Amino acid sequence: MSDLLQEFPGAQRALFRAYHIGGCSSCGFRSDETLAQVCQRNNDLPLEQVIDTILSAHEAEQKMQIEPEELSRRLKEESESPVALIDVRSREEWDAVHLNESQFLTQELMQEILTSWPKEREIVFVCHHGIRSQDAAAFFAGHGFTEAKSLAGGIDAWSMRIDPSLPRYHLE
Amino acid sequence: MSASEDFSRRIEEAIKSPKNVGELAGADAVGTVGNADCGDMLRMWIKFKEEDGKRVIDRATFQTFGCETAIAVASVATELIAGKTAEEALAMGGSELSAPLGPLPPVKIHCAQLVEGALRSALSPEEAPESNQAVAPTLLQQFQEQSPKKIVLDPFQ
Repeated sequence: MSDLLQEFPGAQRALFRAYHIGGCSSCGFRSDETLAQVCQRNNDLPLEQVIDTILSAHEAEQKMQIEPEELSRRLKEESESPVALIDVRSREEWDAVHLNESQFLTQELMQEILTSWPKEREIVFVCHHGIRSQDAAAFFAGHGFTEAKSLAGGIDAWSMRIDPSLPRYHLE
Repeated sequence: MSASEDFSRRIEEAIKSPKNVGELAGADAVGTVGNADCGDMLRMWIKFKEEDGKRVIDRATFQTFGCETAIAVASVATELIAGKTAEEALAMGGSELSAPLGPLPPVKIHCAQLVEGALRSALSPEEAPESNQAVAPTLLQQFQEQSPKKIVLDPFQ
């Protein structure tokens, strides 16, 4: 699996979204297992189909992304079920800079979302550059949240394209 | 209905309204399996009461960010152990703790073991099994990884 993940970094997200594999320690896999072994012990998943899922992961990931301009438009809309913005960065990064509309993802909030939020609620995950938020969106999608999305380019893209008053930052 | 469809349906039912979710204030025992730092874990809180001269479990609650099966098993297990003594609860294995869900498919037995592990860690910490065998980094760990770094604000362009 480690070779596979190196070659296809989105494979784990694809596996969890589609088959609920690799999300947490109870559905995780070992680095030294082969994909065939993982398929076999997960209800004998058809290997060919799983490979297709991984190969088409790129396309699926594109669909889970929301561009900053689109998010900005959605946030301005009057809606009965407003989009929820969830920030998955560290507390320090959050303290330094965050979007006003967003909520910091604590373990309590995570528990609340997983157990009581409607599965069709639109949730946009935010991180610094849109990588960790993709993992988060895939994790929630694998838990049945059909409208889990990731802000493309993260808060950095938001600063550049939507709100220049929001300071950009880097980590050292 | 196939066995796997039947299992999925039971899990779906169980996680629609999971019982005993969340921290239990004033718990007498707390047990955790997995890595609590990154949230990839299952934690169980247990509170005792005296009943007929015996110390029995009054209430048990759990918190997990794991898969549906782990949530479902923890939900039914926390209901099952209420009213039992610590010894009686410890005598229950993963299959007994998940019995209301019916037989688990082999790949999901691990989820029941996770619940059993949290229960042992709470009631009998010295006998708690080692945490799960090493798995490759999970999605949860990846997006919750918080490496301490210095944040430097960039000058406005």
